[in-house]
Amino acid sequence: MDVRRHRLDNGLRVAAIPIAGLQSAAVLLAIEAGQWFEPIGRPGIARLCALAMLRGTTTRDAKAWADALDGIGAAARLDVGSHAATFSAQSLGSDLDVLLELMADAVVRPAFASTEVELVREQTVAQIDDDAKNTRAVAELAWRELVYPKGHPFRARPIGDLDVVRAASADDLRDHHRRAIRPDGAVLVVAGGVDAEQVFDAAAKSFSSWRGDGSREDRKAPDVRLTTAVRKLEVVPDKTQSDVVLGWPGLPRTDPRFVSARVTNMVFAADTFASRVGHVVRDELGLAYYVFSTLGGSRGQSPWVVRMGVNPINVERAVSTTLEELRKIVDGKVAEDDLELAQDKLVGELDVARESPAGVASLMLEGEVFELGPDYAERYPRELRAVTLEQVVEIARTFLQPDRCALAIAGPPLPERD
Amino acid sequence: MHALEARHAPVVSLWVWYQVGGRNEVPGTTGMSHFLEHMLFKGTPRHPKGDLDKLLARYGALWNAFTSEDVTCYFETVPAERYPVALELEADRMRNALITEEETQAERNVIVSEREGLENDPSFLLGEQLQAVAFSRHPYAQGVIGSKEEIKLMTRDGLYAHYRRHYAPNNAYFIVAGDAPAMELLDRAAAAFGPLDAEAPIEPPKAPEPPQYGERRVIVRRAGGALPIIQVGHKAPRAADPRAPALSALAVTLAGATAGGGEAASGRSARLYRALVDTGLATTVDASFQLMKDPYLFVVEAHLRPGVTHDRVERVILDELEKVARSAVTDSEFGRVRRQMLAASAFMTDTITWRAWRFGQLLATGAAASLGEWYDRLAAVTAEDVRAAAESVFQEKGRTVGWFVPEQS
Repeated sequence: MDVRRHRLDNGLRVAAIPIAGLQSAAVLLAIEAGQWFEPIGRPGIARLCALAMLRGTTTRDAKAWADALDGIGAAARLDVGSHAATFSAQSLGSDLDVLLELMADAVVRPAFASTEVELVREQTVAQIDDDAKNTRAVAELAWRELVYPKGHPFRARPIGDLDVVRAASADDLRDHHRRAIRPDGAVLVVAGGVDAEQVFDAAAKSFSSWRGDGSREDRKAPDVRLTTAVRKLEVVPDKTQSDVVLGWPGLPRTDPRFVSARVTNMVFAADTFASRVGHVVRDELGLAYYVFSTLGGSRGQSPWVVRMGVNPINVERAVSTTLEELRKIVDGKVAEDDLELAQDKLVGELDVARESPAGVASLMLEGEVFELGPDYAERYPRELRAVTLEQVVEIARTFLQPDRCALAIAGPPLPERD
Repeated sequence: MHALEARHAPVVSLWVWYQVGGRNEVPGTTGMSHFLEHMLFKGTPRHPKGDLDKLLARYGALWNAFTSEDVTCYFETVPAERYPVALELEADRMRNALITEEETQAERNVIVSEREGLENDPSFLLGEQLQAVAFSRHPYAQGVIGSKEEIKLMTRDGLYAHYRRHYAPNNAYFIVAGDAPAMELLDRAAAAFGPLDAEAPIEPPKAPEPPQYGERRVIVRRAGGALPIIQVGHKAPRAADPRAPALSALAVTLAGATAGGGEAASGRSARLYRALVDTGLATTVDASFQLMKDPYLFVVEAHLRPGVTHDRVERVILDELEKVARSAVTDSEFGRVRRQMLAASAFMTDTITWRAWRFGQLLATGAAASLGEWYDRLAAVTAEDVRAAAESVFQEKGRTVGWFVPEQS
């Protein structure tokens, strides 16, 4: 891949990956304004701020901004995750300058008009209400509350706490915007039917006026460890299936062991077909339609969790089977072939992701956000291949102890346990 | 067999579209095509269970299968040098799937689990009922996954007969897009599928939906959701109908080209977004016209804010549908609609997997013979075409309205 980089005077890093033969360009603007950077004890402010940024600027009201975006036929969304607030978009390559100008308008000059803040607040309150009946959301929140102490940035889901959302004022959002929505630490990646100079020119034109206030805050959070197995069942009435979240606090993306952890995750449960747990729980025993694990990448200990959807009568067996597979890894009973399969899968996916401009942009984003080096894209497959069985076992022993896990189940009541 | 060149990445995406789905099922066997789709991953004499999964996983492939009312579809997107292997896997399972008794029993639990997961979603529960009420004779009433009871009764022999009858080269489209000359992609595919035997031709299902003579309504009361939902379906023409491109534009006019929750920034200039979300009546709204083999539904779905009544939102939706059927959209509004529609086409074809999917969808449903033809037909749609399409579809006589009413738990 032909990756060109440029840094604006305000610190915004720009990466351009031209791809010949494409009409469109995928754009990712990742701002270090996710949960990790939220005000302590105010979960939900980051997402509320992001949604309000889409509801009008000081130069265009919400309607005019939406008309302009739809006028170029762009697709765009702004999501808040554990690490970043990520503006992802796609437009025709010839419209890139207009798209970046509209994104910059929302990011740099949001109006936070009171009626618009009220609208996104009410939308969010309704979503939180609805999530209280959504077994996946209930299990996710219950798991976080089992693992992270009060005040930890990952204790809540990105949508936040109802009380915080209800109480948030426009000034709260302005304050978060001033502190967290800043160009230093932000990365703009553009891939597709564009040339690099076009990207750099358009980025400079749109984002040069973006300024951060003061210096970036370095968030700290207490080290989180599970000392015993913990478990919580949330009964959600009128449901057929139980959603299960089983997991551990992970490790920061900047930890040198992170690539080994990613390979361990694949050996363990990341993929329904390439991982041990999917193979046994779904394929051999037919206990679940979906079962997979994810390892979050942030500056903190993001969740490292297995998720599955299981009939209530099968929950205990699915969980114990998952932990049995994990014990095999912890005990060093990992076949060389399991490791090779995991590595082949992770490396092969990198090639296949190149099929789309959005895939290419996503491939580049992680390395750019965490400043993993200009040669990261070339180095990363080699790092995946270099992980050894011993490292996999060591990672599992360090981070995935079967008798020190957190288990959250949401759905119908479970049958009595023996 | 059709091939498209896509030379921007060293990747090939191949798709097999079998002309069998929920539409080909009769009561007592609903969900059979979907069940069978799962069984195609359970091995052949040449590739025992797990072989296909592991091979494709090793290549980092993007691969899956899905069943709809009209088709059952399998695809693999693989590094270009793996194309021959993926071809061989697809050709092999077209005729040689084992479908053993033991695997049928094991997979039944997975499919029941899939169904139970869907039942946790109020939108699915309402949609299933809406479909059942909207169609009185056509098998579209049955949906795709089947009832839990029928899934539990499905037999290995029934599945195998369904497989032998429908899985043959003369009942499938093969589409490939990727990093090689089109003729080379086709030659390889012909070598893989050419030796396979054809089956007796399959007659399309003969259960046309009779005319509807008035609005139908359905209410689902459950405790399993917090937000009220409304779905409004109108009988709409098949994909091969000349109005299909205008109806695609109509869906964009009403709800934008990309749906999404609060995080979605695009599509907010659309009429229903303005009328329902901007005004605080609903949290999300979507409108869809699907390309289908037989006449189906144009569906509007809104998730209401707590405390907002179904009546009120239903009135707003019907008012908006009536407006768009009465007066053509303005030039500036139509300019946005057209741009969204054509840009979305470009986004789709810039991804190799979706380029192949789109082509297969157009062929399998009879919408168009090529991506270019469909694009040209979309580009030729006028504001008056959109109005006329709306007028022809948004008729009270062809309407079915569904409400999901959350109950206190």
